Amino acid sequence: MTSPAIDPITLSTIWNSFQSMGREMRHVIDRTAQNYLIAQLHDMAAGIWDAQARTIAVPEGPTSMFLSQQFSVEYILDKFGDDLHPGDIIICNDPYKGYCNHLPDWGFFRPIFYDDELVFVALTRGHMLDTGGAFPGGYFPNGYDIHAEGLMIPPTKIYDRGVERTDVLELIWNNVRWPDGVKIDNYALMAALQVCDNRLVALLDKYSLPVVKDAVEEMLDRMETNVRAQLAEVPDGTYYGESATDDDGTVLDELVWVRCAATIKGDELILDFSESDAQRPGFVNCVYSSTYSRAVAGSFLYFDPVYSEFHNEGSMRPITVVAPEGSVCNAQYPATVGGSPVNVGTQVLEATVNALSKAMPDKAIAGWGRRRGHYIAGTDPRSGERYVQTTTDADGGTGAVYGYDGFEGAMGMSGLGSIRRGSVEEIEIRFPWRAERYQYLPDLSGAGKWRGGSGMLWEVQNMGGDVGVATGSSDGDLTQPPGAGGGEDGPLSHMYIRSGDEVTPARTHRMVQIKTGEILGKVSGGGGGVGNPAERDPAMVLEDVLNEWVTPEHARNVYKVAIDVATMTVDEDETQALRQAAAAAQSAGGTEGQ
Amino acid sequence: MYRVTVDVGGTFTDCLVLDEDSGDLRQFKAPTTPADPSLGLIDAVSKAAAHYEHTLDEFLGRVELLIHGTTLATNTLINEDGALTGMITTKHFRDMLEIRRGHKNVRTSMYNVFVPPYKPLIPRHLRAVAEERVVYTGEVITPLNEDDVRESAERLKEKGVESVAIGFLHSYANPSHELRAAEIAKEVLGEDVYVTTSAEILPVWREWERFSTTAVSAYTGPAVKRYLLALEKRLAENGFGGSLLLMLSDGLVETVENCIPRAVYLIGSGPAAAPAAAVHLGSRNGHGNLLSFDMGGTSIDIGVVMNGEIPTTTEGWVQDERVAIKMVDIMSAGAGGGSIAWVDSLGLLRVGPHSAGSEPGPACYGRGGEDPTVTDADVVLGYIDPDFFLGGDFPLDAGLAAATITEKVAKPLDMTVEEAAQAIMTAVSSFMADEINEVSTRRGIDVRDLTLVAGGGAGPVHAAFIADILNLPDIIVPSVAATYSAFGMFAMDVGRNYARSYITRAADLDPDRVQALYEDMEQEAVAGFEQMGYEASDVSFVRTADLRYIGQFHEVEVAVPVGPGGDLLETAEPELKASVFRDAGGLRMHDAVEAAIDNFHAKHHDLYTFNMPWQGVELLTFRLRAAVPRAPFDLRQIPDGGPDPSHAVMAERDCWFAGEKVATPIYDGGKLLAGNRISGPAVIEEPTTTVVIPATYTATVDNERSYHLTRNDAGSDQAGGAR
Repeated sequence: MTSPAIDPITLSTIWNSFQSMGREMRHVIDRTAQNYLIAQLHDMAAGIWDAQARTIAVPEGPTSMFLSQQFSVEYILDKFGDDLHPGDIIICNDPYKGYCNHLPDWGFFRPIFYDDELVFVALTRGHMLDTGGAFPGGYFPNGYDIHAEGLMIPPTKIYDRGVERTDVLELIWNNVRWPDGVKIDNYALMAALQVCDNRLVALLDKYSLPVVKDAVEEMLDRMETNVRAQLAEVPDGTYYGESATDDDGTVLDELVWVRCAATIKGDELILDFSESDAQRPGFVNCVYSSTYSRAVAGSFLYFDPVYSEFHNEGSMRPITVVAPEGSVCNAQYPATVGGSPVNVGTQVLEATVNALSKAMPDKAIAGWGRRRGHYIAGTDPRSGERYVQTTTDADGGTGAVYGYDGFEGAMGMSGLGSIRRGSVEEIEIRFPWRAERYQYLPDLSGAGKWRGGSGMLWEVQNMGGDVGVATGSSDGDLTQPPGAGGGEDGPLSHMYIRSGDEVTPARTHRMVQIKTGEILGKVSGGGGGVGNPAERDPAMVLEDVLNEWVTPEHARNVYKVAIDVATMTVDEDETQALRQAAAAAQSAGGTEGQ
Repeated sequence: MYRVTVDVGGTFTDCLVLDEDSGDLRQFKAPTTPADPSLGLIDAVSKAAAHYEHTLDEFLGRVELLIHGTTLATNTLINEDGALTGMITTKHFRDMLEIRRGHKNVRTSMYNVFVPPYKPLIPRHLRAVAEERVVYTGEVITPLNEDDVRESAERLKEKGVESVAIGFLHSYANPSHELRAAEIAKEVLGEDVYVTTSAEILPVWREWERFSTTAVSAYTGPAVKRYLLALEKRLAENGFGGSLLLMLSDGLVETVENCIPRAVYLIGSGPAAAPAAAVHLGSRNGHGNLLSFDMGGTSIDIGVVMNGEIPTTTEGWVQDERVAIKMVDIMSAGAGGGSIAWVDSLGLLRVGPHSAGSEPGPACYGRGGEDPTVTDADVVLGYIDPDFFLGGDFPLDAGLAAATITEKVAKPLDMTVEEAAQAIMTAVSSFMADEINEVSTRRGIDVRDLTLVAGGGAGPVHAAFIADILNLPDIIVPSVAATYSAFGMFAMDVGRNYARSYITRAADLDPDRVQALYEDMEQEAVAGFEQMGYEASDVSFVRTADLRYIGQFHEVEVAVPVGPGGDLLETAEPELKASVFRDAGGLRMHDAVEAAIDNFHAKHHDLYTFNMPWQGVELLTFRLRAAVPRAPFDLRQIPDGGPDPSHAVMAERDCWFAGEKVATPIYDGGKLLAGNRISGPAVIEEPTTTVVIPATYTATVDNERSYHLTRNDAGSDQAGGAR
């Protein structure tokens, strides 16, 4: 299996170097960007492709930002052909002419040359503070078409042989809000590319081009062999999964469904989204590359964790993603796509996982707590400056997996935990908002033998200036993250605006107003459970009651565990009786159902 | 008079003594005594006293400075045997410690979700709250509800907590609520309960980083306090009248009095000194790119040094806990002389992560250890002479080593005892090679570009085997290998760090306020050093500040220059003596800040390849590093003796190399002379160190009796792979 051309230490050093370059690019961006989304929440990605547009390293980042970018790289290589040179940088955010997922995520591509040969293409991508359009931030519903969602940039050179094309950049910056801030973030993303270029050239100097090319072939082949071997062990068959979002933001309260048929045939995997709903009038549409990235990311979770950080083109070779044109999973121009990184991108991932958990029940994975984000646009009375504020803070925890409870705190299935939460102190310093509440509440996790991470209560007060709020980056008022293997779905979420004693509900995928002094509140549901809750170890249920994750009533009704609250002990006899009754009812119900 | 450094590791306690009259440096070792580590420390010091022909009292009476590193805080965290700890925090914000910043996997890939969920050091039912609120300006918007604090403290008392962390929002800007809550908690819980506040542990903004660091401090604090008080008492009882300083995680030192309330600063205390030893040894030999490898009884500690700079980080994690203080960047892994070899259910040989520690220790110690360890394999393979371990102070039982390896490894795997010992050796060497490769390649550094500096009790036995796997051309085994971290404590300056926050845009900066902050820190530093017995005139300062472009989220630390009498130095030289520094007037601070801003633009470019001179700058934290230079010392010089080492051969012993029994020459390290060349296979024995040289390496002795091992084929096989 080992190629005689390359020794194991050289291979492992080169392989790890590619991975570490991906992480180092993210580090440079993190340290230098000025945008809360990028520098605090880490809504950014970086990766490396080769001159054949093959994915070499995609270590960390929100999946839709980079896992499908072989399509973009291929498009750019075709479009520019011989007109690519050392020192060029190409910007692109166009979902239709560039395979990006939505307009605020600007990608910067840099061809990397060695001895006049184009060898690699590096990408950095981050969520801009603004991308033009009708409302700041990109997650607002009811755009007339994609042009209403903002500036749409096809692959465009902004550096030509190391020289900045300032007029082109100014054309772009002139069409966004907060151009000075966007400019800093653009430089941060481009600086990371320079760092990658330096590191790649040093790597090539050290090992020579032929050795690095051999290593790349070996890296891709090893991952392919590895993934195929694992797929071959899964019983052949087709497994179905589905998931819905609350609505499309335009046609209200009508669920939008994503359905996945996962077919395992020998050592291949086909993820088919043909049965999903048709392209929507509202802003939840995914272009194909968005769907592809989520589907592939979902399947990576089922492969051997020992290799999980090394996924590359080789891991994708055995996987086919099918989505017919005109589907909500393969939207066509000029459909709006603003909400797609959260909805229905999350649903693509959930439907994939929902299907594969049936194929591999001993690796079952539940859906994570739904995103409960927002974009607030207002003016800070302290400085008179306009601001846009967003957060991931209110999101519930992760879903359970077979063998483990979900993580408290970790959030955002679409980012697979690569996105961070903010800091209360940071938000209060930076924005005219004050945190009132940020804590867990009981019974906000999906029950199961392994329960989901918990949801929480989050409240912030507007300290100055009436603001508009887009709730496009949230979901879960009407729909729930799916449980797996008999575990419950994650609970529903809700949101409200409180003014004195008056509480007004606020919904996902809408635009709402919040006046000075009013409070924005969110109660989020956590992740789904895995396995039957009545099979959960009573000692773990007791622990949950002691820590107020679960109320004694919920323990009794759902987990079928009787807890004596005065002594904080499990009533063994009553628990046994409750569980026997539950088992009897279930088998009776099962018989009736047939 | 003497200066002494003592490093208490998991298995052995290492002691180095500098005789200030002769400049002579000597090393001593004793087994660590985990139940009360101060006993082992006294044992090691007693050996030193005996060497200098003093009673313990006489010897300690002549020690003016004792620098002490201890892994106690780290081990308490790793072994999860810290105090039952509670927390009192701001009402409605009970869960910041568990929500964290949304971390799922600290070290594993985002594509791996099969990871056990994080369990916080302070579980939810021990997190209590009090109504209060301070905002970022320091203004109190909700006064502290003292009844809440009392009630919460009562609740925690009922639950039997031994330690309480107090963490309120924005306490870095105004610690008064935390301090008052701590007073009340102490009233309710009594003096025996350890109470700590986030503002005294890490007075910087961002609540989770601050609270997490505080929780670690509270969790480890009672164990640290018990130990340090016992140690102080024991030293005083035995005649010690000098200064006792603790080695901190950032490579600096602190008094016992100041360490007790800030236990987290002792995380990584001992190993943090090791890179300083590597830098000292490397620089003498013209090597700046080094791999510091310290192998003790329970763990290996690996540090990568590039261009002679000891790497530090404020992004550190210990296990699953975020520790946001500045720390020397060291990676630890569970493999050492005491690591236990076992055969798993698939019939595969595994080594570690469990360790026999020092009690009972490896089977060959004869203290009831029943599991075969790496040290037992070293004995069976003939590398370690059972009668000459620790210079013969600590005879080993080779029969027990062979018996347990036979029983637990050889029989199940159907091997001879020597084959089994060889397999243990191969497994542990491969594991350590992988760990080292991981540390270097994660930084994008080819391990073959580094010089391995091997220390620790077990390091010189194993270094060449690991280097062989990694194809490393150069190894340095210092004469002080056995007391490697303790030596690092001698090789570094005695220093302390200070910091004050003042968040301001450059355009709005008040130079007098900055001047006052620095003067305040300077006074604190001088007082601190005087307390440690130093003269104010020996203290030198480096002023720095954390700057960023307006809007950025992360800062860059840059020098803030000052000059004699307050004049700005052209060269932006930041270092200055205390006596002169005091004269620097506030008037010129404006110029110093301007220079710092220029430094910031330049450093931003160096670090990140670009800068933004058109963008405004803000300043956040002002820092002072105060230091007194280390005492000069010399390692004993040995005379030149040419390449022939044959005069030092003391025996020949059967050793096993790569499955073959080889009659191997054993050299008496004490008789070797500078310039002697020893071809492998060979073993060099010294009282505290055994160096094993396989056939692929040749050792050269230098005039400090350090051994330089070079790979025999290094000339033909260019490290790097390209050809």
